[in-house]
Amino acid sequence: MNKLAKGIIKLKWVIIIIVIGLTAFLGYQIKDLKIDSDIISSLPDDDPAALLYKNIGKEFGGNDMGMIIIETDDVFKKEVIEYVKQITDTLSVSDGIATITSLTNVLDIKGDEWGIEIGTLLDEYDLPDTTSELAALKDRVFSKDMYKGTLVSEDGTSTLILFTMADGVDKQAVAKNIKEKITKIGIPEKLYFGGLPFMMNDISSLIVSDIVRLIPITFLLITFILFLAFKTARGVILPMLTAALSVIWVLGTMVLFGYELSMISNITPIILLAVGSAYTIHVINRINTTADSDRKKALIKALTYITIPVVLAGLTTMIGFVSFVFGAYLGIIRDFGIFTALGVVYALLLSIFFVPAIIAALAMYRKPKEQVNDDKEKKSILNNLILFPLNNLLHKHPKYILTAWTLFMILSIGGAFLVEREINMAEYFKKGNPTRVTEDIMQEKFGGSQPVYISFKGDIQSPDVLKMMIKTEDHMKAFPAIDRTQSIADLVQEMNDVMGEGKRIPDERAKVENLWFLLDGQDIMPQLVSDELDKAIIQSKFASTDSKVLNEFVTYMDDFVTKNSTDDCQIEVTGMPSVYSKLDQSLIDSQKSSLIIAIIMVLLIVGVIFRSLIKGVYAAIPIIATIIILFGFMGVTGIPLDIATVLVASVALGIGIDYSIHIITHFSSVYRNTGKLDEAMEETIMISGKAIVINVVSVAAGFLVLIFSEMVPLQNFGLLVAMSMIGSGLGALTLLPVILILHYRRQERINK
Amino acid sequence: MTNLKLSVLVFASILFVGFSANAQDAKSILNKMDNVMYSPKDMTGKTKIVLIDKAGKEKTREANIVQKGNDKRIFRFTAPSSQAGIAVLSLPKDVMYLYMPAFGKERRISSSVKKNNFAGTDFSYDDMESKPYAEKYTPKLIKTESNAYVLELTPLSPKSAYSKVIVSVEKTNLYPKTMDYYDKGGKKIKEAVYTYVKIGKYWNAQEIKMTDFKKNHITRMIMSNVKYDQNLSDDEFTVRKLKQ
Repeated sequence: MNKLAKGIIKLKWVIIIIVIGLTAFLGYQIKDLKIDSDIISSLPDDDPAALLYKNIGKEFGGNDMGMIIIETDDVFKKEVIEYVKQITDTLSVSDGIATITSLTNVLDIKGDEWGIEIGTLLDEYDLPDTTSELAALKDRVFSKDMYKGTLVSEDGTSTLILFTMADGVDKQAVAKNIKEKITKIGIPEKLYFGGLPFMMNDISSLIVSDIVRLIPITFLLITFILFLAFKTARGVILPMLTAALSVIWVLGTMVLFGYELSMISNITPIILLAVGSAYTIHVINRINTTADSDRKKALIKALTYITIPVVLAGLTTMIGFVSFVFGAYLGIIRDFGIFTALGVVYALLLSIFFVPAIIAALAMYRKPKEQVNDDKEKKSILNNLILFPLNNLLHKHPKYILTAWTLFMILSIGGAFLVEREINMAEYFKKGNPTRVTEDIMQEKFGGSQPVYISFKGDIQSPDVLKMMIKTEDHMKAFPAIDRTQSIADLVQEMNDVMGEGKRIPDERAKVENLWFLLDGQDIMPQLVSDELDKAIIQSKFASTDSKVLNEFVTYMDDFVTKNSTDDCQIEVTGMPSVYSKLDQSLIDSQKSSLIIAIIMVLLIVGVIFRSLIKGVYAAIPIIATIIILFGFMGVTGIPLDIATVLVASVALGIGIDYSIHIITHFSSVYRNTGKLDEAMEETIMISGKAIVINVVSVAAGFLVLIFSEMVPLQNFGLLVAMSMIGSGLGALTLLPVILILHYRRQERINK
Repeated sequence: MTNLKLSVLVFASILFVGFSANAQDAKSILNKMDNVMYSPKDMTGKTKIVLIDKAGKEKTREANIVQKGNDKRIFRFTAPSSQAGIAVLSLPKDVMYLYMPAFGKERRISSSVKKNNFAGTDFSYDDMESKPYAEKYTPKLIKTESNAYVLELTPLSPKSAYSKVIVSVEKTNLYPKTMDYYDKGGKKIKEAVYTYVKIGKYWNAQEIKMTDFKKNHITRMIMSNVKYDQNLSDDEFTVRKLKQ
């Protein structure tokens, strides 16, 4: 370590130039940083249901579907129909739109003894305007599943205009353009924009808004806290510089490897600002407190001492982020873990190499006169009001502290059983957010917005396959959360009916083929059946977001598929219920696995470094206690486990363990040298304790900024991590010292 | 003052004469084109319809066509086997009958929406109609090229799916070379490319290639075995005949 420290001082200018070069290079990459708001693409390819969902979305155009809802008091009014036509016409001349389905252009098959009319529900050039025409339209709409609840809500107050996007267009740009154009028409009714393209736009702007607002706030806040704590320019500038550089490096690296910023990884900069500054704080703190007449020697001495604890702290934090790389269901979470861990490594390297180099190069050694300040500092508020009383309490009443923690943990274990899980994406948006509002309207008026798809592989023109599709649809509709279904089989039945042979699938294939002739080339066909006629889907929507109901439906359909799927007619189920159900299970799995990985790794590392397993266990106790309290808190306050809060425990473990490591390292080294328990603990609390308090405050403040995030899970994530930081800091300053005191008192007694 | 008035008058009359000459030319070019396209008394032939999707995959259909004048036609599919025997009879005044062999039944079909596509092709019912262009559009000569007149056709009916059609008419023989279809937003949405050959005394559209730019889909309609003026009787175009 001594050699390393000397080397750093010697090569200071090389290090500084490398850092400047890397920063310029990686910083330049950031200009190409893109935002990935496509949540569907984040679904894992190794889960069959998710893969099928993605593929169906691609193949049958569902992922490119957008919808515009007009909400009014009565859809069947002359003006409203006119609005629908205006929107339909606007869409039809907009770039990037492939198909449009609305009241004014939807396919309508009518049949009687006179013949068949294949046309549209309305004549767009002769829209209904008399009361009787409008009443007739209403009757017609409510008589067909294809319209009722699909194009017009069952209460007749809302109508949908659906559109799909052309291949290879920039979906978000098209969606944005459409929203602007439609808004410009100036329709005096409430309009809502829904569907993935709009949602992605919404998420993108939330991500940008979070970054633009939150990063400066975090930066200023932490700067302010550091200034209060250190009151020196370098105590503020160097930690913030290393944190900022690590953010630039990580973002640059992401671009370099072709990754995009997601709705999770947009908090990486904020986390790094909060966490990354800590290593530099420890390094500077150590340099400040190392007294030596030769300032260069002091620096080397300080570095020699601090490198190992800082590397350890960084390593454990990194493990916290890496721990959910393995069990993660969503790609965005895995990427978030990897890149935040990488950022921690960057911050660590910078604090060990760059910070001393810059101190040496710019001769920013502490001036000797500041030595006097140390006496003054001993009388500071922090010392007087917190650390001294704390130290006294620790020695006088160790057992009270232990009892208090134990009680608190027992209560929390009870609370932990109340923790709920939230997987519904709509809940991730704040109330009043356009996406959430549209989702609520879809839920309320159009039987939900979560797509369900049943895929059929086989000869789709075979009557057997079509009959199986009808049977499946009937089975689905028997489930309360499914209102209606749509498939090519329905259209064939309807055509058969207009041919005068009843609303059923004909028994002869030749008849199916004949009926197909009229359906061929209709806009809706590519959404229901593949071009080669070897794949078809049943489309439906799921009306519940309750994870219990979702799971029930998945089992209900799986049973059906097992019984009915054959080689000639392969049935598969997917859609949001299947994906949510997996996501739900993965939240539990990933929570367990990441926590176990993190605990084991941390115990191992701490154990190896201290060459004592018992010290490893001691170090882990405060943070494990904190995690238990964390789950208790989540249970009691109703903050659910979701894609972001599932990360809290491991992140908290990774960061929080550092406090214990600092306490144990410091305490052990003093105790080994002096053999005096009380003095060792006092020095530890007064020096390392101070660093911990400053660190807890700055890290917690950094995470608390996330409360202002636009996304609910991120708000909760920030709150919970901040709480855990305070908890684990408190644990390291109270619970851990008490355990150490009790442990060594006992040992001293035994030794005597 | 008088001079000015006079010159305005002269200028205006030149302009007027110029315009009406243009209108005259455009109208007569279009009439001549209609003549070339629709002059045979009757026609029989085979057509091959090739559908090409955006991935370049092709599907082929074949049909026999029997046509008399501009408004009587039977389209009888012969391939693929799944559609063989399906036949469409078109009669004047948009009356159409569809025969489905598997059902052994015919049904009168009406497509109130002319812009719907015919049987999965890129031709709308409107495009398939053999109604003279001069009866559906107002022409304007916008350009004279070395071997073609370029006409801008504005639909007479507000119900047309198009805002305009730009036709390039071959100068010497006056058959259409290309037609570009524009939607109501003024964007080119479809394009037809014609290949004409002379059979006997008539020019025959041997191939029409229709591209739908929105769907990225192409239909090629290729004619063969074309015979003209066989004095077909009206009895060929009845529901009874359709079912045979």
